[in-house]
Amino acid sequence: MRFILRRLGFYCAAFAVALTLNFFIPRLMPGDPAATLFVSLRGRMSQQSLDAMRAAYGFDGSLWDQFVAYVIRLLHGDLGVSTVNFPQPASEMLLYAAGWTLFLVGVATLLSFVVGILFGMLAAWRRGSFFDTLFTPVNVMLNAFTPAVVALLLLYGFALQLEWFPLGRAYNIDLEPGWNMAFMGSVLYHSVLPLASLVIIAIGGWHLSMRNTMINLLNEDYITLARAKGLSGRRILFRYAARNAMLPQITSLALTFGFVLGGALITEVVFNYPGLGKFTLAAIEKRDYAFIQGQLLLLTFTVLLANLIADLLNLLLDPRLRDRSELA
Amino acid sequence: MKLHDLQVELGLDNLQTDGLLHRAPAPLRVFLADKRGVAGLLILLLLTVAALGAPWLTEFPPDRMSAMPHLPPDGDHWLGTTRMGKDVFAQLLYGAQASLTVGLLAGALATLIGVFVGMCAGYFGGRLDDVISFIVNVALVIPALPLIIVIASFVDSASPMVIGLVLAATGWGWTARIIRAQTLQIRHKDFILAAQLLNEPWWRILAAHILPNMLSLVVSGFVLTTIYAILAEAGLEFIGLGDPSAVTWGTILFWGQQNSALQVGAWWEILPACFAIMLTGAALVLINFTVDEIANPLLRKRRGEKAVIAYLRKKGLPVND
Repeated sequence: MRFILRRLGFYCAAFAVALTLNFFIPRLMPGDPAATLFVSLRGRMSQQSLDAMRAAYGFDGSLWDQFVAYVIRLLHGDLGVSTVNFPQPASEMLLYAAGWTLFLVGVATLLSFVVGILFGMLAAWRRGSFFDTLFTPVNVMLNAFTPAVVALLLLYGFALQLEWFPLGRAYNIDLEPGWNMAFMGSVLYHSVLPLASLVIIAIGGWHLSMRNTMINLLNEDYITLARAKGLSGRRILFRYAARNAMLPQITSLALTFGFVLGGALITEVVFNYPGLGKFTLAAIEKRDYAFIQGQLLLLTFTVLLANLIADLLNLLLDPRLRDRSELA
Repeated sequence: MKLHDLQVELGLDNLQTDGLLHRAPAPLRVFLADKRGVAGLLILLLLTVAALGAPWLTEFPPDRMSAMPHLPPDGDHWLGTTRMGKDVFAQLLYGAQASLTVGLLAGALATLIGVFVGMCAGYFGGRLDDVISFIVNVALVIPALPLIIVIASFVDSASPMVIGLVLAATGWGWTARIIRAQTLQIRHKDFILAAQLLNEPWWRILAAHILPNMLSLVVSGFVLTTIYAILAEAGLEFIGLGDPSAVTWGTILFWGQQNSALQVGAWWEILPACFAIMLTGAALVLINFTVDEIANPLLRKRRGEKAVIAYLRKKGLPVND
């Protein structure tokens, strides 16, 4: 219990740091932040209403007053108004993009986790075999190819040359979005290449970490004991070795899920996918601070939440931690 | 003599004669005995030579028009030209200079910060450790890449060096955490106590007694942060946050994407830079495999294991695999 409380305290502190950073980032910019913020609205609004908006969005008064106003607005779930798609609230755009990103990156994370863990298990079990010597280095190398490269190569090969898959977008724009077969089929079809480019890169990380954890575990005494008892290889692999080797992997899966809402910036750009990454980039280019701040805050929140979940999962799955709650 | 015959039969006779390597320090011997690490090092060396030799390897300037736009590869322009009529091969070579320099420098700087901070936290402990650990943990949970993007976007068209500095400033967290954990383990060893009793200054204890005992971790951290820096730099420039007039692998990809090079069939504008980045990543990963095995002996391949097991099997002895 004390352990959980300490972690909670840490996450609150980290969130406060992120919040403060988030507040100061546009204000550290050279020049008047409010002017930059509202420059795109000039001509569309009178000077009077601009001044009113400055006040409404907390750009007058002392820095401390502004900070308090900022926090209060956040507590009301108000992220401000997007200056690019005025007058849409930034939170609305965030939610739309978050949906697509959650689907794309979430599915990719799960897929690469399952495949990578299985690969890693097999590689550690049949260590030094053909499978291990070929796939371990290859998978880890794929891990070191930047998303830009893999996405571009897939786009070139399968969309441009073979024309098996569409060049981009999340669905066929002739279709009306809805829960029907035609639309969902189109979504799946459009997601194949972006998914593939994300999965190809991510497999290697899971593969290597599962393999190395397994190899260390296979040298433990309890595995030798299991062998001495004459248990079948399969039973030792799944019930004894893999089960324990999964612990750290599940922790990092939880942590990785925290970053899902970071979006797959590069993949989304290459495939013109309407996710958070692409929206964030557009917001950066157009200096849409309400959106950028909202996105950073959302991401920090999910990352911290994922960390907390990982802590709890560990406590739940690993009885050793429950006895010694001093492990922080 | 009988033993030797058996070794010959199993193909183990050449194992213990490492030749010149015999006298090299153990970690170096392990490194050089692993084909993966040597291959990675050779690739990296080749890339460095190609980058440094750019002025002699190509006659064309990387940043000025030297022929018609979008010429396919031929005898003059080995990798064709871009939409602006710039020579792709020249861009690739000069781009390697910037990309490799930035990657290695950012990796080195991040490792330096991480090692120093981690060792201080681990060695001094107490209040200092609490403060440093808190900062490191916060830095690790706050997503780095979006933060980098935001920082980079504030500096209008960041030069490769600026990007490298930002990457180094945000990329030292993991190294610091690992080094701190290792320092904690070494701190209470007898030889540290001996050094303290001899009144050695703290910086000498850190540099001369603790650091050499975790050199493989430091090298591994350096290789990993360098991979991260090279990929992240290319990625940031690809999405247009870098200085588009600089010649790096990232900006080559950026311009290729801007000009829809793939869509109009000019694959030579994009694919060479893709392969260059892939090759660099692969080389560093290969090196890291070997460094990993030096740091963690359990991962090390057991020499001649297969031959011995096969022999024991043949003799009818029970063997686990």
